[in-house]
Amino acid sequence: MLKRLLLIRGAEIIALTLLAAIPLTVSNSYVLGLLTLLAIYGILLIGLDVTVGYLGQVNLAQAAFLGLGAYAAGLSVSLLGFGMLGALTVSMLVGLIFGGILAFPALRLEGPQFALATLSFSALSTTVLNEWEGLTGGAQGLHVSRPIFWGHTVTAQGFYWLCLILLALVWLAMRNLLSSQWGRAFEALRDSPIATDAMGVGTYRHKVAGFAMGSALGGLAGGLYAFNFQYLQPQSFVYELMVILLLGVVLGGRKSLWGAFFGASLVALLPNLLSNRLLFEVISTIGLLAALVAGVRGLMKKTTRPFQAIAPILALGLLAVGGMFVKNTEDWRKAIFALMLFSVVVGLPEGLMGFAARFLTRLFHIDPPALPPATVLDRVLPAKTPDGGPLLKLQDLKRHFGGVKAVDGISITVHSGQIHGLIGPNGSGKSTAVNVISGLYAPSAGKMLLHGKALPRGMFHVARTGVSRTFQNLQLFSELSALDNVMVAMKGVYRTPLPLVLMGLARGEEKRAQADALALLALVRLKHLSRVSAKDLTYGDQRFLEIARALARKPELLILDEPAAGLALPDVNKLVEIIWNIHNRGITIILIEHHMDVVSELCNVVTVLDGGRVIAEGAAEEVKRDPRVIEAYLGTASEAAAAEPCSFQTNP
Amino acid sequence: MKKTLIALSLLGMLAAPVFAAETIKIAITGPFSGGSAPMGASMRDGAKLAIAEINASGGVSVGAKKMLFDVIERDDEAKNDRGALIAQELSSMNDLSGVIGTVNTGVVLAGDKYFQEKGITKIITPAAGSASMTQWSKAGVPDLSIFRFAAHDGIQSEMVVEEAINRKFTKVAVVYDSTNYGVSGRDDMLDQIKKQGNKLEVVASEKFNIGDKDMTAQLLRAKSAGAQAILIWGIGPELAAFANGMAKMEMKMPLIGGWPLSMSNFIDNAGKNGNGTLMPQTFIEEPITPKVKSFIESYHKAYNVARIASPVSAAQGYDAVYIFAAAIKQAQSPDTHKIKEALEDLRDPVEGVITTWKHPFSKWDPANEQTHEAFRREQVVMGMVMDGHVVFGNDSDRQRLIKNASK
Amino acid sequence: MYSVIISQMVVSGALMGLVYALIAYGFQLTFSTSQTINFGQGELVMVSAFFSLTLLDWGVPFWLMVPGGLLFGVVLGLAVERAGVRLALEQKSEGWILLTIIIGLLGFSAAENIWGRDDRPFPTPISSDALQFFGVSITPLEISVAVGVFTLMGLIELFKRKTLLGKAFEAVSADRDAAELMGISATRTVMLSYGLSGLVAAMAGILVSPITTVGPTMASALILKAFSVAVVAGLDSGFGVVVIGIFLGALESLTSFYIGSGWREAPGLILLILALAVRPNGVFGKASIRKV
Repeated sequence: MLKRLLLIRGAEIIALTLLAAIPLTVSNSYVLGLLTLLAIYGILLIGLDVTVGYLGQVNLAQAAFLGLGAYAAGLSVSLLGFGMLGALTVSMLVGLIFGGILAFPALRLEGPQFALATLSFSALSTTVLNEWEGLTGGAQGLHVSRPIFWGHTVTAQGFYWLCLILLALVWLAMRNLLSSQWGRAFEALRDSPIATDAMGVGTYRHKVAGFAMGSALGGLAGGLYAFNFQYLQPQSFVYELMVILLLGVVLGGRKSLWGAFFGASLVALLPNLLSNRLLFEVISTIGLLAALVAGVRGLMKKTTRPFQAIAPILALGLLAVGGMFVKNTEDWRKAIFALMLFSVVVGLPEGLMGFAARFLTRLFHIDPPALPPATVLDRVLPAKTPDGGPLLKLQDLKRHFGGVKAVDGISITVHSGQIHGLIGPNGSGKSTAVNVISGLYAPSAGKMLLHGKALPRGMFHVARTGVSRTFQNLQLFSELSALDNVMVAMKGVYRTPLPLVLMGLARGEEKRAQADALALLALVRLKHLSRVSAKDLTYGDQRFLEIARALARKPELLILDEPAAGLALPDVNKLVEIIWNIHNRGITIILIEHHMDVVSELCNVVTVLDGGRVIAEGAAEEVKRDPRVIEAYLGTASEAAAAEPCSFQTNP
Repeated sequence: MKKTLIALSLLGMLAAPVFAAETIKIAITGPFSGGSAPMGASMRDGAKLAIAEINASGGVSVGAKKMLFDVIERDDEAKNDRGALIAQELSSMNDLSGVIGTVNTGVVLAGDKYFQEKGITKIITPAAGSASMTQWSKAGVPDLSIFRFAAHDGIQSEMVVEEAINRKFTKVAVVYDSTNYGVSGRDDMLDQIKKQGNKLEVVASEKFNIGDKDMTAQLLRAKSAGAQAILIWGIGPELAAFANGMAKMEMKMPLIGGWPLSMSNFIDNAGKNGNGTLMPQTFIEEPITPKVKSFIESYHKAYNVARIASPVSAAQGYDAVYIFAAAIKQAQSPDTHKIKEALEDLRDPVEGVITTWKHPFSKWDPANEQTHEAFRREQVVMGMVMDGHVVFGNDSDRQRLIKNASK
Repeated sequence: MYSVIISQMVVSGALMGLVYALIAYGFQLTFSTSQTINFGQGELVMVSAFFSLTLLDWGVPFWLMVPGGLLFGVVLGLAVERAGVRLALEQKSEGWILLTIIIGLLGFSAAENIWGRDDRPFPTPISSDALQFFGVSITPLEISVAVGVFTLMGLIELFKRKTLLGKAFEAVSADRDAAELMGISATRTVMLSYGLSGLVAAMAGILVSPITTVGPTMASALILKAFSVAVVAGLDSGFGVVVIGIFLGALESLTSFYIGSGWREAPGLILLILALAVRPNGVFGKASIRKV
């Protein structure tokens, strides 16, 4: 524990001190300028990493926020007479506001559409900055005078220290943010936006918050940029810069503050690296050798696909060899970035810092921080005595998809405290019904009442009413650990407001959430695997993890959508035990299943669907013998009469 | 023989670092890539030709010894922020004797303050925007290390407006790019129209951006306003797009404007649509005198070209180096401050390809930026684009230059 | 007089809009089979245009240059698929966004150095002497753009609907795994779609270069407009791109006339953001249903 603290925090402090001390020993103003630029880009890339690393989206607008922040700062000094702090606050607010405005349309989108939306925003900002000559000076540029800071003029050195201090503050705040529930939520929504909403975490609001914070940092970096160069023009903030910023984040390492910092040094120093041909050759050769080693190992161990192993070797080879033959490496700057970025994206997706972190942790054997003891389960999921009255009422619920009537008028009442089975052949509308209840789809007609009140629209809002669920096709947060998967869904623990989280005052609730999550993992017998990534768990364990996660919502109604699908017999038995345990705590359960024994064993009442309609309802045994049910599953009644009525099992 | 020596010295400049202690460090900066590259590259090549000649003849005599030039090149890509970074880098070098170059007015405005701060001597060439020098007169600085060696827009706009009036036009459209160069050029033109008696009515004032290919909107507005001639301030690629657009719109009227209309990328991209375009020039690529002939031939041979991409830039780069060398000789020192003082009071005439320079600069007076401007009206002629070359627009100018040279 | 001006602006704008439509069509081809688009498509247009120019410099006659340039476009499209898209598709990740951006950057830098950073004229036997139609000047060159766009799009649509290979497109776009199970190689179909997309891009380059000149930055302006058209029309809508392309081109033209030429980009960009916000599947596209 102490070792970890010393190594990691120690490294941060040493780096900061070194950087702060450089101007005292070196008096070259050019070097000072580069270091200032390094600090500014550091802030910018940390902001970019929020969207690119944590939210996992390609954000092409960060250069635009840099520009908007820069102009805002410059204009607030010349038009409004603000001092340094005021101007920087303005630039941060401008970044925040524009980020927020862009977030609303953009964040409903994923992948390429998101990238496109940010790209057009960027182009639009450049156009406005260029054309609104009256305000910005247009292509002729804007001269910015460096304002006073608390009554003192700021020297180059002083300005550098200011940038460094701001970088340190941003570093601390972001570290606190990203290691809190916020960071978890960002990663969760990247892995499964659907589950994030279903677990009541709120995909959209977190995306907007994350994006806005990233853009606020972009704006702040812009303000510093303006006071650094003291001259702005719209053409500085175009696509070319954006690609370089992406290079920095990806090469440095996503989801990593050190990665962003390393990336920033690369971006700031790259022009110099390129003009020194010898240095360039050395670095590219080292890179090539590393790629060769990694690629060959990967191929031999079969851990990487051939393309992943060979392509970086080719790219870096081209870089090293090409560098020797071209007349001027400066001219090929963009190609050099491209080849470097290509090698990293394909061959080292975690970036240099990600790789270094893994390597260093192996070297120094740093144990992860210790986990607290698990809370007593009763405190996490207190047992309740349900009254047995109607909890959920579906009245003539319909859901059509064009011509397909997936759910065609079902009316079901689920009583509290019961395990209510929902069965039917494939395509009968079970999952659709459950998706409508949980809010993934809006109903085409009919009503859904929870405690007599209509269910709200949308998964997020439904989740907040005390309904939780698992999914037929797993929707785990695959990159998060099992513990984090459960923690992110934990209800009622995260109360610290954002500003205090940034200041690092959320540690207490983190520990509490961990302890509670461990209790739930213990319930599903996964406590010993709490640090394993969800994607690395066995299929059976993944199914159980989803249940633990759903329980973190402390739900009144739990919907399990084919939890036994694909499970081997021992796991099926384990599942039955777990469901009993949940039931005994007073939680109402809707169980969709094909395993008839499971249904018989657990369910108080079973509803059978076929073709989107209810064809039978009653105790499990009755329903099994109902001729309509048999016909739905097996065909005509006469064929099934020959079969044993009490012990059929359908294969899921 | 001389030319071989020059070629050898051009090669030798690569080895110059070996002789660092005995050399004069001079930086040449400009856009060597991008839309302005013909001007930047030609300026650099003209300057390096002069440096090679000087080095081939042993160098500049400073005290008892002779010192060779050592060149540092920096490409600013016509981008203001790069210009600022380069200026910061160069001005932090402690043994730099001076800087020659810069083509784009915006880059001058972004970077020169770093040179002035450290008192580093810079000769701006061929950037012509007035703002490059008026920024210092407006700031009222008592002392200035920046000089300009180009026909500034004050002279050029005067000539352009005069030309339009002489050709009996009454209605003109003023077209300009959105950079500092274009905007200050427009201001200069409007100023000149007033000064020359308001004989021209500006029926349309149109702006375009760097990178624009489609000028239909601006052309339509000019045409529908009844313009008889277009007065334009921009650089090569966009100027060509404009000329081509004029041809498509069947607007058969002359294009008169700033000196970048002589750039190779205008001439080549406009093709026959560029013929008849008029612009002020300080140098025409025609061997009218032995000195000019020799320069043109050396340039063609050294760089293996049949035509100088921007003859004005090349000639100005060339002459600027000779003037700089003369200042070093007079100051008897490679120290940038002493060079500045010498430049302000150059006693011996310098024979250049543009003209023989007699005391081109004088002591800086913030009330009169002409003190640091080398060119006057007499050194500038009207050029015309014809079949892929720039020729004399007025034969009288050609005759005058020949006569001056033979004096 | 005014109406003539407006007609002039609308017509020239609409013809440029057809180029956007053509490039957008290329996006649709790849999106329909693989849910991916080449973010470096602008560079693909530009590099194939430069290649075509080089062919002409080498003395290749114009009519021979066209298939040569188109073939080169196909090769580039296939290269993009292999290097930038296939891995991401196999991993079911979105790394192709970054990878295609990177490949585009590489192409840009290579073009700058191989062919220089300046814009060069593209010689064409088609005349640019304006013809007058009701007071509006149109050059045969501009007409050739329309002819080229419609011909190529028409041919490809015929291919998609009438040939087996073309129908494989539809299959793979609907359900990749199911199509594979039916014996259609999804990878080969995606390759084909990228090859066609490259063909289309090369054609766009050949059509537009004589008008705008060839230079490293020639396509950066085009591409954003093409994105707008593709998204507004819907990434799976076929001829919808033509309608939207013409609309956007004309709108841009009118904006540049009435508001200022610097603002011409704005309508396309605003339209793109709005379209993405309100109807991500486009005006003509279909919303798809997710199965959970």
